[in-house]
Amino acid sequence: MIEARNLAKRYGAKTAVDGVSFTVQPGKVTGFLGPNGAGKSTTMRMIVGLDRPTTGDVTVNGKHYSGHKAPLHEVGALLDAKAVHTKRSAYNHLRAMAATHGIPDSRVREVIEMTGLAAVARKRVGGFSLGMGQRLGIAVALLGDPQTLIFDEPVNGLDPEGVQWVRHLAKGLAAEGRTVFLSSHLMSEMAQTADHLIIIGRGRIIADAPMQDVIAGQGQSRTRVRTDQPQVLTSALAGDGVSSRLLEPELLEITGVDVKRIAYTALQNQVLLYELTPLQASLEEAYMQLTQDEVEYHSVSLAEEPAMAGEGK
Amino acid sequence: MSTATTSAPAHVAPQGKGVNFARMVKSEWIKVRTLRSTTVLLILTVVAMVGFGALNAWGTTISAEFSSDVPPEAQAQMAETGGIQGMAYSIPPSGVAFGQLLFGSLAVVLIASEYATGMIRSTLVAAPQRIKALLAKVLVITVVAFVVGVLSALITYFVAQPILAGEELDYALSVDGLIPSIINTGTFLALVAIMGMSIGALLRNSAGGIVTIVALLMVLPIVFQLIPNDFFQETMQYLPSSAGTQLVSVQTADDALTQLQGGLVMAAWALVLLIAACLTIRRRDV
Repeated sequence: MIEARNLAKRYGAKTAVDGVSFTVQPGKVTGFLGPNGAGKSTTMRMIVGLDRPTTGDVTVNGKHYSGHKAPLHEVGALLDAKAVHTKRSAYNHLRAMAATHGIPDSRVREVIEMTGLAAVARKRVGGFSLGMGQRLGIAVALLGDPQTLIFDEPVNGLDPEGVQWVRHLAKGLAAEGRTVFLSSHLMSEMAQTADHLIIIGRGRIIADAPMQDVIAGQGQSRTRVRTDQPQVLTSALAGDGVSSRLLEPELLEITGVDVKRIAYTALQNQVLLYELTPLQASLEEAYMQLTQDEVEYHSVSLAEEPAMAGEGK
Repeated sequence: MSTATTSAPAHVAPQGKGVNFARMVKSEWIKVRTLRSTTVLLILTVVAMVGFGALNAWGTTISAEFSSDVPPEAQAQMAETGGIQGMAYSIPPSGVAFGQLLFGSLAVVLIASEYATGMIRSTLVAAPQRIKALLAKVLVITVVAFVVGVLSALITYFVAQPILAGEELDYALSVDGLIPSIINTGTFLALVAIMGMSIGALLRNSAGGIVTIVALLMVLPIVFQLIPNDFFQETMQYLPSSAGTQLVSVQTADDALTQLQGGLVMAAWALVLLIAACLTIRRRDV
């Protein structure tokens, strides 16, 4: 269980994380989604005490990270695959990490096997590909068999087999009752892995809800309507938060009102409907819509915002 | 997966395990041993210190050959620290003149390279009590420095004797103050190691840290010597390398710092830098 309360980090005039509060529950995979530069990594670094929050507070299992007697047994963190001395072998890196907690060598060999590093464990980390570096980072995170796992962009640089492995690993760990907190800017990855989503943009939480709700919450208000009198229907529906777009001469997309009310309004106004389809948004659409709203509040500095990375990245 | 349970975590951390200072030290010891560059530099330091001492022994025998040519006032000055024989006694620890630069740099690099590679983040995630983590690192390098210093001085003693024997300047280990001098060679290097690692932790940069430690140990004394001002002449003896030279002396001149005083001055330098490093590592983000 990770609890952040009003957590903020400012670097001089720049605000990286702007007073976020959230709880990451055990037993499920919680996705931490947001564009690059949204504050995901900074938040995760504050959780394990590498960065000191400017204001606010974050605890893991009720205590500050540094207050735990055996932090590696509480939290396993993959924050940066490159947080390894490049001239040391993977095996020796793991051994040095394990020694801080008196974790035996047998466990070191176990995590090497689990992460598929056996063939390269004796090689210097400097020669590792990004994918192997990620596997080593995950091996370190698993060393203490911790109850809480934090993975920052774990699938970066992994091949498809590796991506699938991380997905199964995260789900498996959550199924064992552990807390799994996983960041990504890849929406497709999140859609397949996470049960719960925390979406962050420009340092603020935009959404914090179960995956289904995030998708549904954005999608339920959009309805595709075919009618022979679009103008009549549009003006009859006009009101708070309702907007409609004419896609084709007789095809409308109506946002901000539920299907039943559209049907009822049509009936009252004697308008013929010959299609009425509630649209289920994909996570990607939901995400775009959410972050778009967030960006609108800050339209002045919009130019500085890094472009949202697509799924193909 | 959306139906996953949200009940209490099934997992409990094993009892009796956790991070403590002894384990941090063990981890740092593994780190020191598993970098080839460190091992190479340690061996190089011993070789350089012994080589420097051997050269010094050779130079001493040449001085002895021409000692009758030395003007009387210079002879009197030399006599204060034991004359030619005194010079011979000062050979075992003489390698520190060189060893301090190598060891100071090594200590800087051991911590600065963790910042350069990002390793420091792994270190501090595993051991979030930052001051303890730094002290564990300092302790390991300090002990290594002490052993290297004592070993180098002892080997130098044995290497120097056959050379000195040519001028009948050889001597036994039982000479007054010789054993403390050999042991203090280790103390000297240990204190230099503390200074180097503190500077490395403060600057978090290898190049900057090496320049700083070399400036402090070697450049500053030269600068002080060149300035013809009483203040600089007076305070020069409190610079770390000058104080360290007194620390490893077999005999000290009457108006100079004693071995103990020299050691305390050097320890003060090391302590101030270490405290500064502890205070900053606790505050800064990594």
